[in-house]
Amino acid sequence: MQNKRLSGHPKSAEPGEGRFDLHDLPPEVFYDQVHSFEFWFQAVQGYLSNKVYGVDPNIAPPDLPDLDRDRLITVLCNYCVGETAALEGSSGLIGIAPNRQTKIFLSTQVVDEGRHLEVFLHRLQLLGVADPESEVERRASRSLMLFKRRLLELVNGKDWEAAIFAQNVILESLEFTVFQSHAREADPLTRDLLLGIVKDERRHIGFGENELGRRLQLAPHIRARLGQVKRELDHLVLDTLEETLLELGADSSEREKLGRAYLEAAARLGLGT
Amino acid sequence: MTDPFPQEADPTTSEADTRPRQRFELEDTGFDEVPPRFRKFYRRWRGPGDQLGPNEVICPVCKVVIRSTRELRPGDRVYCMPCMSRLIVVRGEDGRLEARVAY
Repeated sequence: MQNKRLSGHPKSAEPGEGRFDLHDLPPEVFYDQVHSFEFWFQAVQGYLSNKVYGVDPNIAPPDLPDLDRDRLITVLCNYCVGETAALEGSSGLIGIAPNRQTKIFLSTQVVDEGRHLEVFLHRLQLLGVADPESEVERRASRSLMLFKRRLLELVNGKDWEAAIFAQNVILESLEFTVFQSHAREADPLTRDLLLGIVKDERRHIGFGENELGRRLQLAPHIRARLGQVKRELDHLVLDTLEETLLELGADSSEREKLGRAYLEAAARLGLGT
Repeated sequence: MTDPFPQEADPTTSEADTRPRQRFELEDTGFDEVPPRFRKFYRRWRGPGDQLGPNEVICPVCKVVIRSTRELRPGDRVYCMPCMSRLIVVRGEDGRLEARVAY
């Protein structure tokens, strides 16, 4: 028996009732709709309008044991590095974006990434870190810093496909995977913060995969170059994933499962090896 | 722009796929990641114990449950608005409906 409450109430077996179904929209209308600031604004209003620094103001900052607090600070510092990379990367990509839709989408991503950086820094302050930006520099993962440097080289080199791949497929998939896993075990305040960010990340990963998927269909030869970028960056990302998950206390099976989840998007693009 | 994936039946259409489709009255399930008028077309996957209805598939990109006002069949096009993906419904190896990204 299917779950009628969740899937909706069966209405009739008659076709052609003229009822609006989103999935009937022509693709060009759908893409125009979702790559707009108007869409972004109405989407984030749904889950951010009552939040303060990304969290429900009714959730009190919890008291954490010293070791947990210290580990959380390290993890948040690395989240700040990732968000800074994405902020600088997406703002740089606007200048080389190939059309109006992608420029507008990236401008919404810039806003998202700036917000993420701000709320993570604010969470560090709530944990008692007096100078969060210095702490980020002190605790940043070497692998993640190398990844950031390479991403910005690709952006500055105006390599649209490679930079979108590094940022919106590789980095965003990493963040999407880690933030969801972390949210399951986090304290209530950090969980609320992360779940709001995951909602933004859905747009970022979808944009990257779809933009590259379309380009790969038109120009399959770029697959080899993206494969090379993936091989270059994979170990940095997987090292970062491993370091972060160890800090979060994930066991080896969970780490392996999340490693596979991170690689799914690249595999769908035919970049599985 | 020509749609390379028109909404048409899969060549492996079964007898069950030729009967009239069920229609569904969608309700808001609290999904808040898209503009209000589109929210009823999505819901969150609730983990083990959750089940997909005949009008639902999971987005392989962002794992949100996509819902339609009609029963889905192989060859149908659906959109995942939260991650902005266009998808085609296919029958998976286990016989259940799945969605594949159409770039």
